[in-house]
Amino acid sequence: MTSEPTLEEVQAVVARVAGPHRSPAGAGPDTPLTEGGFWLDSVHLLETIIACEEAFEVVFDPETDFTDRTLMTVRRLFDLVRAKRSGPG
Amino acid sequence: MPSLRDLRAAWSARPASYSRLVWTLILALDRLPWPWGEEILAKSFVARAFVRTGRLRQALAWAAAQPSTERGRWHLARSLCAYHGRFVARSALVGIRGPEALLRLVAVRGEEHLAAAGRGVILLGFHLGPAGSYLALRVAGHRLTWVGGRGATGAWSREIRQRYQSARETQFFSEDRYSWTRRLYHARQVLLSGEHVFISADGEGGEAFSVPLPGGPQVIGVGWLALRRATGAPVLPVLSHMQGRTQVVTVHPALPPRNADPGLDLDACRRSLAHLLGDHVRRFPEQCYSLVFSAPAASSPTSRGRRWCP
Repeated sequence: MTSEPTLEEVQAVVARVAGPHRSPAGAGPDTPLTEGGFWLDSVHLLETIIACEEAFEVVFDPETDFTDRTLMTVRRLFDLVRAKRSGPG
Repeated sequence: MPSLRDLRAAWSARPASYSRLVWTLILALDRLPWPWGEEILAKSFVARAFVRTGRLRQALAWAAAQPSTERGRWHLARSLCAYHGRFVARSALVGIRGPEALLRLVAVRGEEHLAAAGRGVILLGFHLGPAGSYLALRVAGHRLTWVGGRGATGAWSREIRQRYQSARETQFFSEDRYSWTRRLYHARQVLLSGEHVFISADGEGGEAFSVPLPGGPQVIGVGWLALRRATGAPVLPVLSHMQGRTQVVTVHPALPPRNADPGLDLDACRRSLAHLLGDHVRRFPEQCYSLVFSAPAASSPTSRGRRWCP
């Protein structure tokens, strides 16, 4: 994928990893990835991150990129992907 | 003799699963010559079972479920408590001051399986004996990355930490809701670069499956399975038992190669581990404390792992 990722594409990645039984009804960009939302555990988050790396051609830094600021919701994850594509760090 | 600064650092490194009393005891007993601290903790844990009788009942119930032993369930229950205390001491290296002393207390078997497996191997540990198998492998000269938390390493001597703890892995000791995602991501990078990782199969986290064992099932987590699926790395189970005062760590042959069908892959792993762990529990029932003294660590619907409670 070479064009800029969209919020919908990132949400589709999350929904695919979560599967239909974890995806809450009416899930949207501000649905939490973990408790109270998609209920992704550490392994599902890992799978989401790997899927994003492959789909959007980015590389994450585990020490700085996996925080509440970046992994709280689909929108925050989208912001992270966009930031990774737009420059170093 | 540790400095006041070392003691302060050790105190602040108390793992959440260790009570203040046990951690204080560990740090105090560390001043004694080895193996006094181990002996005192072993006896303390037996005595504690008679005070907190719930633990004694747990141990007796578990012992009663084991195939008949020569000396009976009371002996097995008592041994279980003593080994629990001894392993708590050993995981903190109580009384073991430096690398040379540690070298005399560990032995590794089955290294040929590790050599045959090639590069980028998942070494899969279990809490069915003394902890710290990854440390024993390092002492034996194997390079690997530990995928897990700090554990009792805060009580290790400065010399041992400097020799056997990498600065890179301590960056992943912090505990928050993303700590395991960070560790697993880092582990995947390590495996893809061709180096080995060591991860526990039965720590905290979601459940992949359980293995029926005498006395109750062993819950097997999903972390190592995710790494296996993400990298295709061979998985070598590693079991550990105490023989006299030596921790014997045995590297077993690799689990069956990964099957593209996740269901079949899971079944193959379950069968292989059921055979291996069943044999270990039958041989060393008195050392399998984690099957008895553990508590659920549930924090979400997907977290069904266990938490060790020294």
